[in-house]
Amino acid sequence: MNDKIVFGQYIYRNSAIHKLDPRVKLCVLFMMMIGVFLIPADNFILLGIAFLIPLTAVILSKISLFKYLKSLKQIAFIMVFSFAFQLFMPVGKNTTILTTLPICFSYVNIIVCIFILVIYFLIRRYLPFKFLFFLVCLIGIIYLLRYPILGKAFYTTKLDISEAGLIHGSFLVLRVFVIILASTSLTLTTKPTDLTNAIEWLLMPLEKIKIKTSIFAMMISIALRFIPTLFNETNKILKAQASRGVDFNEGKFKDQVKQIVSLLVPMFVISIKRAEDLADAMEARGYIPGAKRTKLVQMKFCIGDFIVFFVILALLVGLILGRCGLYAL
Amino acid sequence: MFIEFKDVSFKYYGNEQNILNQLSFSVEKGSMLAILGHNGSGKSTIAKLIMGLLEPTSGEIFIEGEKLNEKIVDTLRQKMGIIFQNPDNQFVGVTVKDDIAFGLENHQIPRDEMIRKIDEFAKLVDMQDFLNENPENLSGGQKQRVAIAGALAMDTDLIIFDESTSMLDPKGTKEINQMIQTLRKNYQKTIITITHNLEEALNADRVIVLNDGQIVLDGTPKEVLKEEAILEASGLKLIDGISLINMIQNYTIRIKNKEEIIQALWELTFKM
Repeated sequence: MNDKIVFGQYIYRNSAIHKLDPRVKLCVLFMMMIGVFLIPADNFILLGIAFLIPLTAVILSKISLFKYLKSLKQIAFIMVFSFAFQLFMPVGKNTTILTTLPICFSYVNIIVCIFILVIYFLIRRYLPFKFLFFLVCLIGIIYLLRYPILGKAFYTTKLDISEAGLIHGSFLVLRVFVIILASTSLTLTTKPTDLTNAIEWLLMPLEKIKIKTSIFAMMISIALRFIPTLFNETNKILKAQASRGVDFNEGKFKDQVKQIVSLLVPMFVISIKRAEDLADAMEARGYIPGAKRTKLVQMKFCIGDFIVFFVILALLVGLILGRCGLYAL
Repeated sequence: MFIEFKDVSFKYYGNEQNILNQLSFSVEKGSMLAILGHNGSGKSTIAKLIMGLLEPTSGEIFIEGEKLNEKIVDTLRQKMGIIFQNPDNQFVGVTVKDDIAFGLENHQIPRDEMIRKIDEFAKLVDMQDFLNENPENLSGGQKQRVAIAGALAMDTDLIIFDESTSMLDPKGTKEINQMIQTLRKNYQKTIITITHNLEEALNADRVIVLNDGQIVLDGTPKEVLKEEAILEASGLKLIDGISLINMIQNYTIRIKNKEEIIQALWELTFKM
């Protein structure tokens, strides 16, 4: 029970970004998302300006760059995949073809490729630099497919790499990179509870159309409160079942599914019991869903918040006006 | 009379048997009542009935002369607080501060007053250094103390302790029991403790023993303690001292030192 489980990625530092109002941070993230996808697909200068926003946040947050790269690592695979997809996509005729990759399939080539893939999946979990290894394997396979090493090729084709494909591909990757960097700097510098409060505040206009956002916010905050508790509970059940001979890691897929049931059933029973107790406790303490409540947490905008908000808003409005054709971007 | 039960019966939906059978008793303002009973004797059901979390199948409950019903339950609840058994399941806030504030927010106390009350009552339960701590980093006893602070902050006249110490270690139990005494003496609260531990009931002004949904004993702790047969029939464990005296009553020994006591006790336990 004493294991300290930290939910979310929040890291405490005494920085300007940490002190920035969570509502402003959330708004800025939304504006970034809209803005980055409104930038025309070949305008690297505008994207560079957009990149400066999360970069400033990263530098000011006093959190080591390594933490940011860690979250980028998780989506690196998708980024490479979408880059490759864009790169080889056939585009219009009026672009220059940079290089052409001849690809030929012979039996030996295919067998060697499969062999590389098998090796890759077998040993990748023991390697420290998975992503680098993945790239090496990928390049190896592409290189291999260019030349029929042994045996006759039974099928040959060509893949064109065009200038437009290259630009589109790298632009897409950079866009995603900017967004991920921005959202990571939000989650690293904002407590989950502050985020909940921010979301509740931003959803306040919905109260006007009779949607009870306070219930929604209460649900999120209770979920945040109970995730570590349930996590501890899960660990306990896992150990209890393991001591009774349930093995969660080995066995056939069918057996593993059966074993998960032995975790899920007690989890559900305990959670429902907890929920019942919690509902009683909340009701006894006068909670009425949707009723008016005062708030202990009070968020106050300061001048810095306004400046950040309006600077980003001005950039977004400028971009939208440009896209509407008022002036050339 | 602060609370009055008149012929209250209760059964859970779908059950044949009544959990509570024609129960009548009353609690005076400022007094301390202990409700004793084994597991399943219906003692926790009484707490939930008082808080209006359950509705009696038949009979009536009066709180300060007003009949408890759905319309006024929200107003009546402002006079009552309850500390449940499981310290984890009643901790609503993400931090200690948030949890004490939860009830205050529900009753729409203004923010300045809320902050003042949180400081005051956190200090009272000796949790002022943990205000920003998460529940995972607190012990069971500390969590229960936070729950008490939450109830006190709402300025309730009645506080119910529904087996609040049964999941705590001896240290936590002691802390909570001391807290109950403080509340009684310094704050003149009406207190109901629900327990299966006879020792915890000794501080009360009045003890009710429940068995099978009926009151089998009702009186001062002194009177109740005399009725050993009924207590044992109700599935309660006698106080260690009393059971020890019972054990050695017909066994004459000359005790010289501690080792001989242990020797005698060991022999007795195996004879029984």
